[in-house]
Amino acid sequence: MALPLPPGLVPSEVAFLCEMEHVTIVPRQRLESIELLSGATPSLRPPRREDIPLWLALLLKKQRRANILPPPWLHVDSLRDLIHHETVTDPTGWSLPPPPPVRADGRGNARRLNSDATTVLSPPFLPSCTSSAPAGALPYHWFEFAEMLLAHASDDVPSASDVRSLLRDLQEVRAAKMRTSIAGLESGVDGVMSLLGVGAMELSESRGFVTGVVEGVRKLGASAEASRREEEEERGGADDDEPSDDDMGI
Amino acid sequence: MDIDDILREVDPTSSGVPNETSDLQSLTRLWVAERSAPELLEWPSGGLFERINDRIKAQIEKIEILTGDMDPKTNFALIVIQTELERYKFLVRSYLRARIAKIDKHTLHYLSSEELRNRLSETELAYATRHQALLHNHYLSSFLSSFPTQLQNLNDTAGNVSMIDSPDLDAAVFIRMLRDRPVTGQGTDADITLNASNGEVLILRWSSAKSIVEDGDAELV
Repeated sequence: MALPLPPGLVPSEVAFLCEMEHVTIVPRQRLESIELLSGATPSLRPPRREDIPLWLALLLKKQRRANILPPPWLHVDSLRDLIHHETVTDPTGWSLPPPPPVRADGRGNARRLNSDATTVLSPPFLPSCTSSAPAGALPYHWFEFAEMLLAHASDDVPSASDVRSLLRDLQEVRAAKMRTSIAGLESGVDGVMSLLGVGAMELSESRGFVTGVVEGVRKLGASAEASRREEEEERGGADDDEPSDDDMGI
Repeated sequence: MDIDDILREVDPTSSGVPNETSDLQSLTRLWVAERSAPELLEWPSGGLFERINDRIKAQIEKIEILTGDMDPKTNFALIVIQTELERYKFLVRSYLRARIAKIDKHTLHYLSSEELRNRLSETELAYATRHQALLHNHYLSSFLSSFPTQLQNLNDTAGNVSMIDSPDLDAAVFIRMLRDRPVTGQGTDADITLNASNGEVLILRWSSAKSIVEDGDAELV
């Protein structure tokens, strides 16, 4: 009954999430709009492009009812740029994620900053894998998305074999960065560690290891941390360089 | 699609997100959060689950009607509807199972105070209370009854050691920012504040992340 899986998403669950990403297709057959739980699908009229969830696109592709348009970041040139960025321009950090999509709302605000939106959208519900996504920026679900597209729709990806080998290079470069960032924990663990631009599958892959290291370091340093906190408390409000909540109350 | 949907689509001041999408986003976020957080999170208020359950029920009824006429044209639509229904049901089921796993692990902890009890839904509370009662009775009849009376409790706190096992709130979690804001985290060597931008993934302790996640400024990944 109860879920036996460990905390944190496992790779198959990440792949499930990735299948919710929207992707652009070119239909080859007419298909009326279908009322789904996640909203109605657009009615498909060839050759008008439409954005639909990836799981549906793969289903249509399998039945040869549609072709999938790979997102701009999955083209050979974009991937070369990304590898160049990862290896030469910035050999320490990951390449930046795509900028959050912005929709003007007539008052000069962008949608993501719209405070009256009850639910802020985040991947996989942002259009980061459609044909309107920017080139040269890897979205959160880049690895799973590219793998799935190459596995099930490789004839829709231009120069698929090049893309495949470039993706492997990219993955290796980024995996090495993940390992370096963990090695950086040796010199001390700060309260917050940023992994700007990391992908979902990379996170899921090294989640157990990273949390294991952070937990281990925390338990080893628990007594040192407790004494440091005590000291800070004694110094009281005079210590202003750390405006944490505990200090403010004193 | 009715007139309201069309109006919402062309209205530049609305967020442009249809109800179905925002509900799916909420459900997905809840599921991911529950799968990643070290402790049980609040049961969502605002009728999200009632809405989702009603929609699933209506969809099942629709499938039952559609399977009646075996028109090859509607056949494919039926496959799509069923696939989507299964995906949706998986999300709901996985979410509930993740919660039950946490309740099972620390039943007495979640029943110990009013504030913690409020995190459970009605059915979960009934499940936890009955499960704990059955377990206690079983222990009593199998071995606890032969102990001295003062040692029969399962929730003793004598000697400054609580028998109630509680989840580790300082466990490290991964969060993704939904808005730009500074994030303060407690660390072993230093407490630091980082200016995090939208979309950035951070590692920090759940105890530091909790308030940010509850404010809706970040989500667990």
